[in-house]
Amino acid sequence: MAHNHSEHSDHSELGEQHIGIPGYLGVFAVLIVGTILTYVVARIDLDWIFAGANTLVALLIAFTKMACVMLFFMHVRWSPKLVWLSAIASFFWLAIMFAYTMQDYLTRGAGVFNP
Amino acid sequence: MATNVEALDHDHHYHPPGLQHQFDDMKQQEESVSIGMWMFLVQEIMFFGGLFTAYLVYRSRFPMAFAAGSNHLDAFWGGLNTIVLIVSSLTMALTVYYAQKGNRNLQMLFIVLTMLFGMTFLGVKVIEYTDKYNHGLVPVAGLNRKAKAPAATESGPTSTGGETHAAASSSEHGAEEHVYVNPRGEFQWTDTSLAKLAEDHHYLTEAERNGYYSNGVVDANKFRDKVRIYFWIYFAMTGLHALHMIIGLGLMAWLLFKAWRGTFSAEYYMPVEMSGLYWHFVDIVWIFLFPLLYLLGRHFMH
Repeated sequence: MAHNHSEHSDHSELGEQHIGIPGYLGVFAVLIVGTILTYVVARIDLDWIFAGANTLVALLIAFTKMACVMLFFMHVRWSPKLVWLSAIASFFWLAIMFAYTMQDYLTRGAGVFNP
Repeated sequence: MATNVEALDHDHHYHPPGLQHQFDDMKQQEESVSIGMWMFLVQEIMFFGGLFTAYLVYRSRFPMAFAAGSNHLDAFWGGLNTIVLIVSSLTMALTVYYAQKGNRNLQMLFIVLTMLFGMTFLGVKVIEYTDKYNHGLVPVAGLNRKAKAPAATESGPTSTGGETHAAASSSEHGAEEHVYVNPRGEFQWTDTSLAKLAEDHHYLTEAERNGYYSNGVVDANKFRDKVRIYFWIYFAMTGLHALHMIIGLGLMAWLLFKAWRGTFSAEYYMPVEMSGLYWHFVDIVWIFLFPLLYLLGRHFMH
C-alpha cells in the first residue's frame, strides 16, 4: 500500500507520512463496509451462540473501524512512540474504569437499584 | 529595530514560518504539539468514558429496557449519520493531505466539504431530537410536546385545525392509543412487549424482575422508568457528541479563515493536522455510539 512512503519513513519529517489518496479511499471503503456490516449483523439473532453475541460482534467491528481511523486518518502509524503509548494507555485507563466499576456492581446482588 | 533583527539572525540562521521561538526546529515543535493534542484526546476519552461506564452499568442491569428504548430509535437516521461522519472524516484527511502539499484551493474546498457534512450530521440530529420531542421521549418532564386530551364535547368538524385530531380519535376505538396525549409534557412509554417476551422465554434476570415487576407481573410504570434511564443516557451521550461536532465546526471555520489567508504550507500545517485529530476522534466516538445506542436489541425485532 505505502511502499514508497515507508521507505522514506526514517528520513522524512514527522507527520509527512500518509498512505496517499488511494490509501485514504481504501480506508474509507473499509469504514463504509464496516458500517453496513454492523447494521446487517445487528438484525440477525446471534443469541444461539451465546447471550450477547450480537454486542460482541458489533464491538469487534467498531474496534476494527476505530483502528483504521486511528492508524491511517490520524497518522498514528507514523507517529512517535509516545503517541502510541498515549493512545494505548487511554484504553487501558478506560478498561480500569470499566473493570473496577463492574466488579462492584456485578457483585452487589439484584436489589442495588431498588432500595 | 535593525539591531534586533541582526541579533536574531545571528542565533537563527533560518526561521521557518510558524516556528515558535521556544522550539529548536519544526520537528521538535510538531512533536510537542502532537503530544499535547494527544494528551487532550486522552482526557476526552475519559470524559466520554464516564458516560460509557454509566451505559455499561445500566445496560447490564436492565438489558430489555435498553433494547426496548433502542428499538424505538430509527436505525436509518443513525446509520445515515454514521456514513455522513465517515465521509467527513475522509474529507478531513484529504484537507490535511492538501495542507501538507501546500495546495490552498483544494485545502479550502475540503474544509468546506467537511463543514457541510458536519452540518448535515447536526441537521439529522435535529430531525431525531424533534421526533423524540413529539413522541414524549425526552426524559425531562415538561420538555416534551404538550398535547391536551381531546375533549368529547369539541369533536365537531367545524374547526380545520382540529380536523386531523378528531379523525384519528373517532375512526376506531382501537386507534385511540395512537393519539398523543401529554398535557404536562412528561416522558411516556407504554410498550412492555420486550419485557414480556423475555419473561416468556425465561431470560429475565433477577435484577430485571426486581426492576420491572409489581406483585409478580410486569408493571408498565416501572418498566417505563427503566426505559427512561436509557433515554437519559441516549440524550447525554449524543448531546455531548453533538456539542463536540459544534466545536469542531467552529474549528473548521477558523481553519478555513487561516487557509484563505494562506497561513498553511508544506512546512507549517500543524493546526490543520491537530484539528483533523479532533475531528477523527469525534467520528470514532460515533462509531461506538451507533451500534451501542441504535442497534442493541435490534435482533429482537421480528
